[in-house]
Amino acid sequence: MTTPEIRYRRLLALYPSDFRREYEEEMLAVLMADPRPGAAQIADVLRAALAARLRQTWSGAGAWGRAARVFQLFGVIAMLAISLRRVAAAVAGATWPGRAFHLDSVDGLRAAGWAVALAGALYGLRALGAAGAAAGLTGEIIFTARIYPDTPAVVIDRYWQLVAAVLLLAAGLVAERGPVRPRGWAWIALAGAALVAHGAVLRYGLWQAYAALPWVSVVLAGVGVARQEPETRRRMIALAVPVLATFPVERAGFAGFVEHNMRHPEALRVLGPGQWIALVLIPVAAFVVVADINRRLERGRAERR
Amino acid sequence: MTEQTFLILTALAGESLHGYAVIEDVARQTAGRVKLRAGTLYAVLDRLRGAGLIEVDREEVVQSRLRRYYRLTAAGAESLTAEAARLRERATLAEGRLRARRADFGGATA
Repeated sequence: MTTPEIRYRRLLALYPSDFRREYEEEMLAVLMADPRPGAAQIADVLRAALAARLRQTWSGAGAWGRAARVFQLFGVIAMLAISLRRVAAAVAGATWPGRAFHLDSVDGLRAAGWAVALAGALYGLRALGAAGAAAGLTGEIIFTARIYPDTPAVVIDRYWQLVAAVLLLAAGLVAERGPVRPRGWAWIALAGAALVAHGAVLRYGLWQAYAALPWVSVVLAGVGVARQEPETRRRMIALAVPVLATFPVERAGFAGFVEHNMRHPEALRVLGPGQWIALVLIPVAAFVVVADINRRLERGRAERR
Repeated sequence: MTEQTFLILTALAGESLHGYAVIEDVARQTAGRVKLRAGTLYAVLDRLRGAGLIEVDREEVVQSRLRRYYRLTAAGAESLTAEAARLRERATLAEGRLRARRADFGGATA
């Protein structure tokens, strides 16, 4: 095997196995015959391989569309609840003598955006859902960017919410259309209510409730997800993996960065280009890997039937 | 239909061709303006096969390399005919308006 052939075979290995089985040999013949080797040729194959992988991931579009729909609805309820938590804290704070109600404009934008996204998700209106999610995402970004110059570690603290906001925008764009009331939605609504209450209970000195409510919310959300059809549930988990992957990244990958900034407020470190790229690529890679595992599992199940 | 798809279907409208021959034909059709690369070509070929617009005609091995020839299906010919008619209609409209514009300017080409 010649050196260019080895190099091209390595590149072609990036394609999904089905695509490779069908086209690898003739693509190799074309690549070897083409008198234009170089970076552009490599970039073209890389782009096409990535596109083929994404296309394959969504090939069960009906099942993914259904899962994306439930994921969007549940996720938007969670994001709305998290943003309303700050509104609830502001309302509760205003009950102190001499304190007036004040709601930050960005908190208002986040809550309004996710409320609109919820309406879009409930009625299956993609444009409305996308507009709401885009407003919610904008609010999340502004909220983070405002704090970043003084506290760069805020990006790591809020990493999962930023990834969740991007995912919900994307899920809404590929979700099935039409009104939906999936089973388990009431559990998710209760989980959201617990999160909103979490914002207000401290005002009344309910420390135990303050400590317990996030866990109550997680358990209720877990019940809501568990009530889905296995096929939908598996895909919902695959969709949630980019968010779940942020937690070990926060704890392990950026622990040193966070600790340095906590101990040395006089010499704050900001995120470098490589760290920004890692923060973007890790959730994407996590989704591609889990979707691929899911696809293999489903193919195995289909073959056993 | 994208320009690449149109050009590839046009290449296969004449005779069945293998991958590299499609790249060469498209380059000839466009006087070298469009030079497809392998990644782009096979993404389009795979999509066109999936849509039933092209199919494999035959395979042969030349100098230890696989050559697979593709040909247009009846559905592909129909799709190309419809797209060609649509482009012709647009071209006719554009030419008509340009003629009128030249007449308005008294034959000037501005």
